[in-house]
Amino acid sequence: MAEIVMPRLSDSMEEGTVIKWLKSVGDEVAVGDELVEIETDKANMVYEADSAGTLTEIVAEEGATMPIGETIARVGDAGDVSANGGGTTATEDAKDDKVADVSSENGEAAPGPVSTSSESPSAQPSSAPEATTPSAPPAAAPAGDGADGGGRVKASPIARRIARDKGVDLHALAGSGPGGRIIKVDVERAAIAAGDGVGAGPAAAEPAPPTPGASERPETAKGQTEVVELSKLQQTVARRMAESKATAPHFYLETEIDMSAAFRARKRLKEMADEGEPVPTFNDMVVKACALALRDFPRANGAYRDGRIELYSRVNVGVAVAAQDALVVPTVFDADRKGLRQIAAETRALAQRVREGQITPPELSGGTFTVSNLGMYGVSNFGAVINTPQAGILAVGELKPKAVVRDGEIVSRELMGVTLACDHRILYGADGAQFLARVRALLEEPIGLAL
Amino acid sequence: MAVVRMREALRDAMAEEMRRDESVFLIGEDVGVFQGAFKVSEGLLDEFGEKRVRDTPISENTIVGTGVGAAMGGLRPIVEIMTVNFALLAMDMIVNHAAAIPYMFGGQVRVPLVVRMPGGGGHQLGPTHSHSLEAMFLQIPGLLVACPSTPADGKGLLKAAIRDDNPVIFIEHESLYGSRGEVPDDDDHVLNFGDAAIRREGGDVTIVGLLRMAETADKAAQTLSHEHGVESEVVDPRTLRPLDLDTILESVAKTNHVVIVEEGWPHGGVGANLAALIQGQAFDHLDAPVQRVTGADVPMPYSKRLEQAAMPHSEHVVSAALASLEGSI
Amino acid sequence: MAQSKASSTAKKKSGASRSADGKAGNGKAAGAKPKLPSKKEARGLLQRMMIIRRFEEEAGRQYQKAKAGGFLHLAIGEEATIVGTTSVMRDDDYLIGTYRTHGHAIARGTDPKRVMSELFGREGGTSGGRGGSMHIFDLERRFMGGYGIVGGTLPLAAGLGLASDYKGEDSVTVCMFGDGATNTGNFGETMNLAALWKLPVVFLVENNLYGMGTSLERHSAVTDLSEKASCLGVPGESVDGMDVLAVRECVSEHIRKARENRQPTMVEAFTYRYRGHSAADPEVYREREEVEEWQRKDPIESFARRLVDEGPLSESDVEGMREEAERIVLEAVKFADASPEPDLASLYDHLYVVGDQVPGWYAVDERSPDPHPGEEEREAGERAQQLAQKGAAYAGPEAAAQRRDEGDRPDPESAPGPTAPGTEAPEEGDGEPHEESG
Repeated sequence: MAEIVMPRLSDSMEEGTVIKWLKSVGDEVAVGDELVEIETDKANMVYEADSAGTLTEIVAEEGATMPIGETIARVGDAGDVSANGGGTTATEDAKDDKVADVSSENGEAAPGPVSTSSESPSAQPSSAPEATTPSAPPAAAPAGDGADGGGRVKASPIARRIARDKGVDLHALAGSGPGGRIIKVDVERAAIAAGDGVGAGPAAAEPAPPTPGASERPETAKGQTEVVELSKLQQTVARRMAESKATAPHFYLETEIDMSAAFRARKRLKEMADEGEPVPTFNDMVVKACALALRDFPRANGAYRDGRIELYSRVNVGVAVAAQDALVVPTVFDADRKGLRQIAAETRALAQRVREGQITPPELSGGTFTVSNLGMYGVSNFGAVINTPQAGILAVGELKPKAVVRDGEIVSRELMGVTLACDHRILYGADGAQFLARVRALLEEPIGLAL
Repeated sequence: MAVVRMREALRDAMAEEMRRDESVFLIGEDVGVFQGAFKVSEGLLDEFGEKRVRDTPISENTIVGTGVGAAMGGLRPIVEIMTVNFALLAMDMIVNHAAAIPYMFGGQVRVPLVVRMPGGGGHQLGPTHSHSLEAMFLQIPGLLVACPSTPADGKGLLKAAIRDDNPVIFIEHESLYGSRGEVPDDDDHVLNFGDAAIRREGGDVTIVGLLRMAETADKAAQTLSHEHGVESEVVDPRTLRPLDLDTILESVAKTNHVVIVEEGWPHGGVGANLAALIQGQAFDHLDAPVQRVTGADVPMPYSKRLEQAAMPHSEHVVSAALASLEGSI
Repeated sequence: MAQSKASSTAKKKSGASRSADGKAGNGKAAGAKPKLPSKKEARGLLQRMMIIRRFEEEAGRQYQKAKAGGFLHLAIGEEATIVGTTSVMRDDDYLIGTYRTHGHAIARGTDPKRVMSELFGREGGTSGGRGGSMHIFDLERRFMGGYGIVGGTLPLAAGLGLASDYKGEDSVTVCMFGDGATNTGNFGETMNLAALWKLPVVFLVENNLYGMGTSLERHSAVTDLSEKASCLGVPGESVDGMDVLAVRECVSEHIRKARENRQPTMVEAFTYRYRGHSAADPEVYREREEVEEWQRKDPIESFARRLVDEGPLSESDVEGMREEAERIVLEAVKFADASPEPDLASLYDHLYVVGDQVPGWYAVDERSPDPHPGEEEREAGERAQQLAQKGAAYAGPEAAAQRRDEGDRPDPESAPGPTAPGTEAPEEGDGEPHEESG
């Protein structure tokens, strides 16, 4: 009996999540066989078996997260699978192996001895006391909808296939099919939302169940460690941000925009507004300016996907909103065609819905560009992470009066630092610069925003 | 093109083939003087005489067996069995002989036989005259099984069946005998076995319906379109052996949802078989479990109220389609 | 055997009350010996009977050696009925029979090599190994088959008769069946139809007195089978089925009636099988003495004796003919042994005629995950082929031994063996539950 433990698959990996078992209980395993797919902090990796025998027990079910070194499965003799009473001899075990092999090749259900392990748990502990771990899954349960245990996701076959093809994490989705089954339409929405990256999941996603044993770690040089499990949404944010930085070659273009005219214009609007009527913020103006510029620079309104460039006919600008220890990006659809006032009303409503956890997947999907603003925190400039597969993201800093030289004179102007992050696979230096210049021009002469 | 009823289309198919080929003849209970229990053979006795339109005693197994023997002896018999239910009396000849002989004698002899029989409920004929037993014949290797739903298909498939060298079970539907449709009147209107017909194109859900259920499926598709904005693709397999699985799979790949409608029983039915094939061949295309609409799991009751309750109607199909599409629309 | 000899117990109440002495009810064969035919013809009759006898003995031996599988029904003792009948048929007449028809095919001219190969399940068999002992067929010689369904051939015979009639041919169909078949529904249905439609069919019941293990008195209310169809319009006559010349004379007349008068008739030939119903028959239903009684009027011995006594043949002629039969049958075994096992890729051959109109059937071979259009079976995927091999491995000789050891689990790796499956199945006494009368 050999134990398969959670392997270390990257330098920084501390724990891994079992994504998929590639062998079932009862299967013969040879050294080097692909055994299990594990999600590390960096990537999904296939782990190959390091000992041979029959897979007798799966300890870590799919979806379970375990620290490095913890047992995730056991490999032993075929006889250990059944452990159903003395009669079996060594030679018979060997024959059973063969029979099991044939059966699986025939696509039939696993033969008797294997399937009994799920039906008669009492037969197990004698040979494998560890098997009493609560998370021990039933052996070789057939895949299919409706199984609802632990990390299993209920999803239709085509939803699974599209998710696989488009890299959508089914765990992060809520299904709209019968009984919460994830169906095609859910994955397609999520795949579109993936353009907004962090918006791929519903804001109201449930937190992940606690990982067994996670709270009982020893004190280290860093003192007592409090382990906080990520919510599904946070997991998604983490994974997508890492993916973006890892796969999209970012470069950054910085500039300062003279918002004096915009400042004056907003002041006027504020004065003119009725009681309770939303007045467009500078950020709304940025959204609108970006939208108009995106219309002029189609590549900035595109995506790099699977070695090709996709250009979109609609201009949908996402606005990053901090909420619930996470980040979501609700979308202003067709922002290029909407007036500032409408944009203002929409962004307020969306932010409100985010805070209340009412936001729905469609409101989070479909973005073609993102604006992120940290100016309210006094940040003058920052570089944002692109929401792949979008082409870029505009990071907006604080608006404040600065002394500048105009016509040879030192004057005070309302300046705002912005940084455009571009995916160099679709948006090149000159393209990005021209796009940014257009945004700047629109904001510096805000009369254009009203058109 | 002429608009004719199903029974006339079938009669024309037989008459044309009998004129074309001297070895084609019709035997069965009351096919001659009585002109057929459902008047399908009307006029044939007058035209072809007693040698080629033969009334038989009520001896189903021997009638079919005589057909098998005559086919082995070089003729092309058409045997009419009065209803599908009576064919059960001839199952020995159909299964153990007609279907097995070509194979078990290593291809030395062929059985070019057509056994025609009407089935289906709706006429208050009760538990011994109203059943839909396509699935029983579908299961048997060696048989071809046709189940036409329109007069044009009835004629084209029956002509094909008569010309074919394999034993063919040709299932007609009592309720369709009077249905009208355009039928090509040329002698060469011969349809291939194994070609499904797409009755209606749509991208949301595939509805497979056979025999009268092809009509029911079409009616349901109209309702789905008008009332629910759902566009259905209605596929009529037309023959169950050979089965045009490719067309069905292509449609499922497009719609990701499928409903199978049949009048027969649910267990081991046509839909059960097709569902297994679809999940095996198009698993990755399914967005919901395959839905089946079948007749009730009872012998057909006599009471009109109960009988209609036991049969599938377009409302059932609509409901199944919407269940399949739950969350998608 | 006279009725007085029958013992009192039920099982021994033998079917021989209608006796073996040749005094068949209404037959004219009683008493007067039929005239001998020409020497050449007599020689031919004797030789055919000897070959059949020797073939059947050898088939039984090969069955015990596990070369032949399934059920094996031998016609030893019934040779005169077979040969007497076929000797008066024309080449264009049809013969159709039961599952005890190795001899019928041979009598019609089928090469014993091909019959033996079919018993061995080999490619060289009459049906390429698809039919086996119960389903011998030879279209070329218009032997329209042996069939495993008792009574199932009766409607087929009517159909063959109808085909002749319809086409205006004067060929006749001879339908041979056992006494048990007279109790099936088909018997009544077919007799009525044949008489009604005046079909040129001779129905010949090979009355060997037992339907499997049930004697005639215990299975038929009317024991004079020649009369059993007369109320349906098919008159009949009985004949001593152990006398090849009597059978010839009688059947010849009935064939003439069918051919010329379009009158279907029934011939009841009294005969007897010396062996059990099948190879797996302990024969608890009859006395050894009864068998010996019938063996004393053995159709081959008695005909050979008469030919020697009355001059046409010498003892050494007869001996030479025996040797000839021996040679032919041993050659048949040799041929069958050498004939290859059927190609696994031929599994779906002959199931359908495919062509333009029926391009193939979508055969989904559920034994493998890969579906394939049936007509392309021979191009089936590698996985399907491998699985077919694994299935075929269950036929290997090791498989049987392994089944004994561990239930029903042969080693899937073992290659298909050169011989047929083991013999133990029929002898394990599963009672041959699916078989009916003989």
